[in-house]
Amino acid sequence: MSDPEGIGTLTGPSLPAHLYVHVPFCRLKCSYCDFFSVPVEDAEGVEAVLAGIEEEILEWGRARLSGILDTVYVGGGTPTIIGPGVIRILESVRTSLPARTDGEVTVEANPDSATARLVEALAAAGVTRVSLGVQSFDDEIIGLLGRLHTVEEAHVAARAVCDAGLDLAIDLMCGVPGQSLRSWHCTLEEGIETGAKHVSVYPLALEDGTPLAVAVGAGLVSSPDSDAAADMMLLAEDVLGAAGFERYEVANYAVPGHESRHNTAYWTGESYIGVGPAAHGMLDPETAGASGVRTGVGTDVARVRYSNASDIEEWLQGAGRDVETLSKAEVAREDVMLGLRLARGVGARIVAAAGLEEQLRQLEAEGLVELAGGGVKQRWRTTTRGWLLGNEVFRRVWLPDQ
Amino acid sequence: MTEPRLIRNFSIIAHIDHGKSTLADRVLELTHTVYGRDMKDQVLDTMDIERERGITIKAQAVRVMYDADDGETYQLNLIDTPGHVDFTYEVSRSLQACEGALLVVDAGQGVEAQTVANAQLAMNAHLGVIPLINKIDLPQADAERVSHEIEEALTIPGEEAILTSGKTGAGVRDALEAVVRRVPPPQGDSDAPLRALIFDSYFDPYRGVVGLIRVVDGHIAKGMKLRMMATGVTTEAEEVGVRRPANQPVEGLGVGEVGYLITGLKDPALVRVGDTVTLAKRGSEEPLPGYREVKPMVFTGMFPIDGDQYPDLREALDKLRLNDAALVFEPESSHALGFGFRVGFLGLLHLEVVKERLEREFGLDLLATAPSVEYHVRKTNGETIVVQSPQDMPDVGSIDRIEEPFLRAMILVPPDYVGAVMELAEGRRATFKDMQYLSKTTVELHYDIPLGELIMDFFDQLKSRTRGYASLDYEYIGYRESQLVKLDILLAGKPIDALSFIVHKDKAYYRGKTLSEKLREIIPRQFFEVPIQAAIGGRVIARETVRAKRKDVLAKCYGGDVSRKRKLLEKQKAGKKRMKAVGNVEVPQEAFMAILKVDE
Repeated sequence: MSDPEGIGTLTGPSLPAHLYVHVPFCRLKCSYCDFFSVPVEDAEGVEAVLAGIEEEILEWGRARLSGILDTVYVGGGTPTIIGPGVIRILESVRTSLPARTDGEVTVEANPDSATARLVEALAAAGVTRVSLGVQSFDDEIIGLLGRLHTVEEAHVAARAVCDAGLDLAIDLMCGVPGQSLRSWHCTLEEGIETGAKHVSVYPLALEDGTPLAVAVGAGLVSSPDSDAAADMMLLAEDVLGAAGFERYEVANYAVPGHESRHNTAYWTGESYIGVGPAAHGMLDPETAGASGVRTGVGTDVARVRYSNASDIEEWLQGAGRDVETLSKAEVAREDVMLGLRLARGVGARIVAAAGLEEQLRQLEAEGLVELAGGGVKQRWRTTTRGWLLGNEVFRRVWLPDQ
Repeated sequence: MTEPRLIRNFSIIAHIDHGKSTLADRVLELTHTVYGRDMKDQVLDTMDIERERGITIKAQAVRVMYDADDGETYQLNLIDTPGHVDFTYEVSRSLQACEGALLVVDAGQGVEAQTVANAQLAMNAHLGVIPLINKIDLPQADAERVSHEIEEALTIPGEEAILTSGKTGAGVRDALEAVVRRVPPPQGDSDAPLRALIFDSYFDPYRGVVGLIRVVDGHIAKGMKLRMMATGVTTEAEEVGVRRPANQPVEGLGVGEVGYLITGLKDPALVRVGDTVTLAKRGSEEPLPGYREVKPMVFTGMFPIDGDQYPDLREALDKLRLNDAALVFEPESSHALGFGFRVGFLGLLHLEVVKERLEREFGLDLLATAPSVEYHVRKTNGETIVVQSPQDMPDVGSIDRIEEPFLRAMILVPPDYVGAVMELAEGRRATFKDMQYLSKTTVELHYDIPLGELIMDFFDQLKSRTRGYASLDYEYIGYRESQLVKLDILLAGKPIDALSFIVHKDKAYYRGKTLSEKLREIIPRQFFEVPIQAAIGGRVIARETVRAKRKDVLAKCYGGDVSRKRKLLEKQKAGKKRMKAVGNVEVPQEAFMAILKVDE
């Protein structure tokens, strides 16, 4: 990993070190999810998407940029639902793009589709890490979330991942209507027992238009209680901490050495490629130009973010890509905002260079951030309370002129 | 110029929503004043807000030519008036220019409070009143009952009523025949020096103030040197004309005629409504009887959400005042809300209309504080001061007594709801005066009630408790002493001047408590605890707490989320902009109006 603080020293277009592939299929959409996915349909549709992904990867290969892939993340959707298709994607990456031998290759999986056979095949194809969407070890909560697996299936899938010698990461969800602190405590304990080395803890967010949001709106389900979620997030830190997990990001805990390198790239201003319908990528302006993501030339463009069309037909035709550019000043603020998500925080000099020292001093007075270390190693870090009230911190960093 | 015997001047008066403006549309059609292509609903209501809400705010005058059954062509000057009690003064002004009035009564709704009030205004002005039972095309129309109510409530023989429908046009010709036969022609001396009454005015950005006038004696013509009798200003008739309904210049106007006068004067204060226009030389010495000046009754603080808009707000208010003599304002500053204006209105509808126009026509984002009335405070040192804003109320110790404005309210309601009305009135410190059965379906109640209580959501409450059946009218009766105290609201320990209000001593505890509770619901959780206190002169009488927000975080933030969540933060911040930062507490606009929603 390059040091994000060294950003700006790059010259010329280069191959980003990180690749995200979006597989837009699910068996059934979960009640709270607003990520882009469609029900897995006929084999032809899946084949068309797979071929499109292969083509998009190949295009990056043809660009012949210097650089080596460090991490690959296949997410979705539910990548494992297309089974061997995932292996085809990984094969295409291997043959098109140079990659590190000790690279991190993660595949997202749901307990109901991560069979032992598939997991073994994934391991053989170079996968090093499986992120399992467990969400809860309470069948009632799993049901409310509209997920199709059972607690038992989650255990079986987790065992299969560990048996195949892969790093297991699990997602757990708190703040679900009807979820008790006790149920959450059990879920945390059971999660630790699976042998996972990485746990993500997400408080449920009601996203507009999701079935859960509709049910809450209609009064069929009580709305998530943010105080209960706060208690659960605090409990997670205690329980996971006692089991040797360190919180390295707002929502992420890992046994030291098992942090997600891919995800860390998102928070440290590193470039990444996004492939597949609705996938997002982030590039420096030169690479964006060289790869054809961005054609226009603007002044003061320091970062280019793009998202592929979410309409599959449109994406297959290579159309409908959204491109957003950020100025140097915006990049500086975005880096501080994202860096404050990390336990290690952001160097004081970077904060000063972004012109945000005054804002952080104010946040410090309010107990939301703190200054750690001394001299050149001085860093701004978010406090536990600041993490719970992250939006207050992030908003004032991203939009400092109150 | 038309001979007075062929002129009829009349108003259309009614309770709000009884169909005046639609009836006026039919008159314009029947007399070929407006042709198909230019015909639209509510022709005479020119403001957007009038059309949208289906109400008339400003009176309008129009001349129509009517071929009557007797073979003569009459000049009819029709004046469409507002029906809402806030604009009663517009009605009384219009009536000064008329000899008759068409009193429109909805055939389904029957006689309502403003029907009675407006009919009394017309009868006191000695006008011939012709009742119309309108909307007879409706299935719920009950002309017999309504005719009975007209007889009982207005002492006008029921058989004189004409059945009309503004929708189908039925009976409209009969109504105009009645105007010709029953409304007396104007009387005046055509040889006497000019006397014309300015009964309304509006501001035209190109022509200056346009006065609507009614000639009583003599005549007025273009180029004449004129004098305004009250202000003493001399000027010249730049243009004289009639409204059909667009302005149409004419050579002159004679006795009894209604039209407009443009003098080139730009300042509305110099062309005052109620003033008499006469000749500059050898003019009349005796002005026409004017009418009482309108006085604002309800006051509110108006503050721009964005302080930079303060000069824009001043300019916008200045512009509105050109056409709205009843609007008064002066600068006000608040610790909580910054610089704004204390604005006086005739009533709540007037307030609402002005606020909406400021926001829509001038693009302002405004915060209005809860409406208040004008208190007369007698201090222990003998001095008397006038207080329009709670924040100006002096210390309790220096007050000898406080007087507040009272109204005589008339409420018309079906007998089933009399109990509900009494209950509401008692809760609002109203004193019962009398009650009378107008018909089997309508009871008329009279109360003396403090205006301060009436503006506290009284009308909405009255409507909801009577399922919309009650109607209300009122007149000002004077100041009376009341046991009043000023209640302060403190947020996070700091008194917020814009939330203070004046309340009767016996209700202070209840209102302080319920308002604190209401504010607790309205003020969003901040990331620190916000205590809300209600206090009288430093003594806290109620306390609530907005608990600190503990969790507010976008937990998932991976590749694709970054842009999306940045935008969400921007949206959140935009949401905050709609709130007012009072100290470091974000207070939504509705908090400043919450006192109105404190139900009994």
